[in-house]
Amino acid sequence: MAITGQIALTVLMGLFLVGVAAWLARVENWRSYTPVGGGATGGETAYGSDEKPAGLIRWLTTVDHKDIGLLYGAFGITAFVVGGLMVMVMRLELFDPEMTLISNTYYNSLLTSHGITMLFLFGTPIIAAFANYFVPLLIGADDMAFPRINAIAFWLLPPGALLIWAGFLPIPGVIPAQTGWTMYTPLSAGVGSGNQANAGVDLMLLGLHLTGVSATMGAINFIATIFTERGENVSWANLDIFSWTILTQSGLILFAFPLLGSAIVMLLLDRNFGTAFFINGGSPILWQHLFWFFGHPEVYILVLPPMGLVSLILPRFSGRRLFGFKFVVYSTLAIGVLSFGVWAHHMFATGIDPRLRSSFMAVSLAIAIPSAVKTFNWITTMWNGRLRLTTPMLFCIGFVQNFIIGGVTGVFLASIPVDLVLHDTYYVVGHFHYIVMGAITFAGMAGLYYWFPVFAGRMYQRRLGKIHFWLWLVGSNITFLAMILLGYGGMPRRYATYLPQFATLHQVATLGALVMFVGGLVWVYNFVVSWLEGPRVEDADPWNLKQSGLRTNEWAWFERKRETALADGGDEEALADGGDPVDEE
Amino acid sequence: MAARTFDRETLLDLVVNAVPLFIMAFFVAAFVLFAPFGFDPLASLLQFGLIVAPFVALLVLTYFSARAITDAERGGPVFLPGQTTPTEARPVEHEAEAEEAGAAASSEPTESGDGDA
Repeated sequence: MAITGQIALTVLMGLFLVGVAAWLARVENWRSYTPVGGGATGGETAYGSDEKPAGLIRWLTTVDHKDIGLLYGAFGITAFVVGGLMVMVMRLELFDPEMTLISNTYYNSLLTSHGITMLFLFGTPIIAAFANYFVPLLIGADDMAFPRINAIAFWLLPPGALLIWAGFLPIPGVIPAQTGWTMYTPLSAGVGSGNQANAGVDLMLLGLHLTGVSATMGAINFIATIFTERGENVSWANLDIFSWTILTQSGLILFAFPLLGSAIVMLLLDRNFGTAFFINGGSPILWQHLFWFFGHPEVYILVLPPMGLVSLILPRFSGRRLFGFKFVVYSTLAIGVLSFGVWAHHMFATGIDPRLRSSFMAVSLAIAIPSAVKTFNWITTMWNGRLRLTTPMLFCIGFVQNFIIGGVTGVFLASIPVDLVLHDTYYVVGHFHYIVMGAITFAGMAGLYYWFPVFAGRMYQRRLGKIHFWLWLVGSNITFLAMILLGYGGMPRRYATYLPQFATLHQVATLGALVMFVGGLVWVYNFVVSWLEGPRVEDADPWNLKQSGLRTNEWAWFERKRETALADGGDEEALADGGDPVDEE
Repeated sequence: MAARTFDRETLLDLVVNAVPLFIMAFFVAAFVLFAPFGFDPLASLLQFGLIVAPFVALLVLTYFSARAITDAERGGPVFLPGQTTPTEARPVEHEAEAEEAGAAASSEPTESGDGDA
């Protein structure tokens, strides 16, 4: 009876919120919303580049979306290097079945931090880097809707990272968290005879909370920007696909990250103030529900914008428009909605009611369709196209290949009986690494190479770019295919040691990781050297997009920027932050 | 009514979201007809609610997004996505007219322009 009352109250509250949203949508014309004194308001922003101070102070005080995009990019790449080095130590440890290189507890620490670093400190920020730099340019806005909030959102990240990594710093009495990135209770609540009551876990939780606040602020900004700051001719009918995916992703962040924040606060209260949400008579499974209600949308928060990047870049090197553009738009929105209805497919093995499991299986199978549709769209875009196998295009094709393997292996996991066999094995690890590394990171690389001339003003070394791609494609497939085979063999995940029968496949996986490591070295060398000494871009259309009628707004902005810079005596700082020359009239 | 709200082209575009809707509807029907774990007021309510809620949400979002896109198409010039500001950009209608006049050869890429290939 009490439960029925709670359900009724929940439904009533939901209806009330829907009513509020509907009322707000009716009374406000958001497109013409112009807050007084609130930064960019559809006209010229007050934060022109010509007002920027020089040197370090510029980067500490900037509110220019492009500068903040570069800051996000530098932060994301730094985190990627840290997370990558962590996993290299882990893979070297796994070369041998016994505990050899590092202790088992240190392995657990690296495992936890690798996951959190890659998802929260690399994945989300690197997407924000592209979005900050290019969404305003693509939609013809002067800047983000709230430039200062944009800066605050970024500057929450470095302290967040320091807190997450605090356990690795030489602080007396603080050890790294060893909870896994999912932070399952009761382990993460610090109960029992383990060492997870340590302050290092609290610091990690607080850091994670900060990154969540950062992501939420960024999401609100992107939604406001795309709704209210679009250029004169940019309507919903011709909004570019990357902005569509950022809009959807921001919607997901808006609903998902506050829930993670709430769950983290509840966990901190359980750990430090004796509350009983998840322990002391509370429900450990409640944590899993709360976490995965955030966690599964998080998967799409990370994958939708890379899908947008591929949908934007791949047609430019296929010599034709994206096949079925609106299919991609509608399927993006479908993924956004359905991603909130699949969370318990991560919990099939927890013993929840079989009727509920079957519902989550149904929606999980349904969400596979929009993803598959996109894959066919990319393939049909390339079909009979005039392909140019540039480095960004190679990474796009690599994305499609890895996404197919990662996606198909995921469909099997959506089936309850298959999942019960493969749950908590390396099959799952191989599946999601095909997505997060093989697809998401590959798309990120496609974006970095494609727009390198825009943000560096120089060209990278093409041969090194291709070497990087092939090393990563081969390396990632060696490693992640070996993981899938390990999972079929029954190798459980999250272990620092294993039975000798798994040694060969683990050694193969480590070999693939080393191949990727070499590829990573080539990439870092290429980017650093090219940034400093690469040949200057002489043409505002380095990819020859004009010829095929596929030049997009950011390249037109790049052309105007170069023309203005020349007219102004070559000073690159002479531009307004939105890209248009400052109008003095 | 839907035919008046959305033209044939838009309805065709919306098929992409009709497929997951169909899958969810199929499972609702299947769980009504076949219930190996029996019926329980709370569990069964949640079971169907967990499929019906995303079904309705997807239906509503698809409708409103299609409305927004269709209204924008009817309300002003439509450029290619993300291609509104390049100097060579023309609204799609103009392009269609040009194609009809046989003057759209420029949209084909040439042999040169291989980028970093």
